[in-house]
Amino acid sequence: MFQTIQVAKGVNIHTRTTDQFKTVNFSVKFKRPLTVEDAAERTVLTNVMQHSNARYPSSAALRMYLDDLYGTVLYLDTTKRGDEHTVLLNIETVNDQYLKTGEVLGKVLELMNTVLFDPNFDNGVFRESIVTREKEMVIERIQSVFDDKSRYAQQQLLNIMRPNHPASISANGKIKDVEKVTPASLVKTYEKMLAEDLIDIYVVGDIDEKEMVDSLKKALPFADRAVDHAVHPTVESKPTETYVSEQQDMKQGKLHIGYHTPVTFTHKDFPKMQIFNGVFGGYPHAKLFMNVREKESMAYYCSSSYSSQYGLVFVISGIDANKEEKAIALIDEQLASIQQGEITDLELTQTKAMLTNQLKEALDSARGQIEIYDQYKELPTAFSVEKMAVKWQAVTKEDIVEMAKKVEKETVYFLSGKEDAPE
Amino acid sequence: MKTIQFDQLDETLYYEKLDNGLDVYILPKKGFSKTFVTFTTKYGSIDRSFVPLGETEAVTVPDGIAHFLEHKMFEKEDGDVFQKFSENGASANAFTSFTRTAYLFSATDHLYESTKTLLDFVQQPYFTEQTVEKEKGIIGQEITMYDDQPDWRLYFGTIENMFHEHPVKTDIAGTIESIDDITAEHLYTCYNTFYHPSNMLLFVIGAVEPEKMMDYIRADQASKTFEEQASIERIEVSEPTDVAVQNRTLEMDVLKPKVYVGLKAKETSLSGREMLKHELSIQLALDVIFGRSSDFYTKVYEAGMIDESYAYDFSLEKGFGFALIGSDTNQTDELVEAIQDVMQKTQEKWPFGLDELERVKRRKIGFYLRALNSIEFIANQFTRYKFNDMNLFDAVPVIEELTVADVQQAFASLQGESQQTVFKVVPIANKAKTVTVQEGQE
Repeated sequence: MFQTIQVAKGVNIHTRTTDQFKTVNFSVKFKRPLTVEDAAERTVLTNVMQHSNARYPSSAALRMYLDDLYGTVLYLDTTKRGDEHTVLLNIETVNDQYLKTGEVLGKVLELMNTVLFDPNFDNGVFRESIVTREKEMVIERIQSVFDDKSRYAQQQLLNIMRPNHPASISANGKIKDVEKVTPASLVKTYEKMLAEDLIDIYVVGDIDEKEMVDSLKKALPFADRAVDHAVHPTVESKPTETYVSEQQDMKQGKLHIGYHTPVTFTHKDFPKMQIFNGVFGGYPHAKLFMNVREKESMAYYCSSSYSSQYGLVFVISGIDANKEEKAIALIDEQLASIQQGEITDLELTQTKAMLTNQLKEALDSARGQIEIYDQYKELPTAFSVEKMAVKWQAVTKEDIVEMAKKVEKETVYFLSGKEDAPE
Repeated sequence: MKTIQFDQLDETLYYEKLDNGLDVYILPKKGFSKTFVTFTTKYGSIDRSFVPLGETEAVTVPDGIAHFLEHKMFEKEDGDVFQKFSENGASANAFTSFTRTAYLFSATDHLYESTKTLLDFVQQPYFTEQTVEKEKGIIGQEITMYDDQPDWRLYFGTIENMFHEHPVKTDIAGTIESIDDITAEHLYTCYNTFYHPSNMLLFVIGAVEPEKMMDYIRADQASKTFEEQASIERIEVSEPTDVAVQNRTLEMDVLKPKVYVGLKAKETSLSGREMLKHELSIQLALDVIFGRSSDFYTKVYEAGMIDESYAYDFSLEKGFGFALIGSDTNQTDELVEAIQDVMQKTQEKWPFGLDELERVKRRKIGFYLRALNSIEFIANQFTRYKFNDMNLFDAVPVIEELTVADVQQAFASLQGESQQTVFKVVPIANKAKTVTVQEGQE
């Protein structure tokens, strides 16, 4: 799918030439082990680097230049996967052939170099006023989770189930660590990132591969780095509670249930576990949707998701606050029915068809191609949709029963309205 | 079947109006493995008063019925339609907006089976009192879910402030009380009036062979019978230019206040290329005045009045339109004042010339080219444009033509002070009541 070239130790360029899109997409990913302190530092760093640089020293100047480059989209962000933390620089720019005029691509590569290597320094450190303001922005982003009740409930469940574990550490870090960031500490973080992180550079578009690799080598002159990052000792983390309820002024009850499974992304049973999740609550034909929503009309949404990096399964549903017990019992029943082998041929066929379709569809966007490849390249065998489809096809009812029996309910979290809530 | 070429964009669109009046558009996209199909009726939450098919007297139906009908289309005598889509590996969905109801699926295999499922389920209604009652619990939870979302409440609160009479002010899903009045008979009345093929548009995009697909759809539609339909008579309300309420605040369990300034549009009668020109002009003016490279943005960013939630947007349909500008902020009044101040200054002296316009035009052209990678965007937006007699693929050439005078003239439609409203969502201070009308004019 992608052509990979190692340009320095620990630095790889992955290119994909296609005329499917009218734009060219870049993604530069800086990866290192996830820690809560680093997450805060690196998130502030992405905000500061996105704000301005030495050549475009104000946000307005940078934004005007991007407008001139036909609204080229450029942003930095942080994400996590498993116990790895990623700083990413994503750029999407219009393919020159669709413009009346323009030599946009060359300018975008130049800008990529400026953003990464020519920061907006003042006396050798990032400008204090910008750092201060962007720290506030990050703190506000972290706090805003509280105002989105579904996200808040899920974060609370994770904090209870896996305290101080990569599963519950936000890629944005914690407020108290963001507050500690200084212009000088950011410089250290920035220099470490450039010198030590493992780097994957992706390009998708109607490009000349050889020419692009040459241009990228010039624009992004990264040096060799150690590739054997110290392996994290596995963090042992267990739920602090099996049941927690919390009250806020709100109308709906948000039920979030967490389960553990020993099967993770790199486990040989991973495809079986994906099918289990599909039958349980991954799709509108699944048991949770058909029973909790359609049969009992208790919810607008009731679904499950499989977090394969951490070996966790989540069920979420929005229900009438007075029907908590009934909902939990119904959800338990659906899992029990799978454990007892109540799976129809139709459910199996549907789930396999949906998983295959979903993967193929995700590959119809440039970002989807980058993200899926970036994840699946960790698997020992080369990735293709066909290979995954073959693995899913082989999954039997017995396999699903076996998966269901390994799924263990750990924590129930329920967020709902107070007794004296308004209205 | 006609073909329409867009040379600069390297796209070919296939079109046919079928004998029953259905507009069918097919756009093959090379390199894609999925196909996305939307089947849309020009019928949304604002269509609450109309003359039912075959009758002479106008009726007003309960709020939220278009959305309720959308839900109920999925249930048939032999079960749930999602099951059939899943069997063929297709992801199906639907949505209801102010002016449209769309049914859609995407698939990478069994395209014709799923197309048949889509056409059949939308064209074969099945409503009973029992299934209607059952749905009230599900939609009740959907309404409650939105009630707890501060951003949704902010959006709808601002719209509600702006309009006196126009039904755009009522929530698309209705309320728990209004949906309780809905009966199977209501659903049939709405269905029969608004789901005739002549009021609908089918769009197929992605991995598709246009001739074969058009033949398939034509044959399917020819095999079904539809009553002849006269044009639909919607009862229109007269809506003043000024806003209904100037300022309102809603308390919710949030940490940080949120605010929108709403600008109600004066010009809402255009259609076709004129409307496209008007809409793009206003969007470009907003980009210069409120965009991230504007003086305004720099000022409010540096003063700490906005965060990453800052946004501005303009919506226009026949009969209503509005711009919204706002952010989560601990300085709601200061931000409102800054926005109003900028609006005031645009009236005193027009704030920009050709250089700024050319810059945001380039940005906008880039936006459309990026968006043309998304087959979902094309299908949804093409349909919206078409229902207003506009053409999505005209956007880039129209942008290229626009002058400063065009933009200035269009923006005047938003400039009146009496067209401004403010809505805030703030943390709960006093638990006694949730809504306080502050300087209301009602």
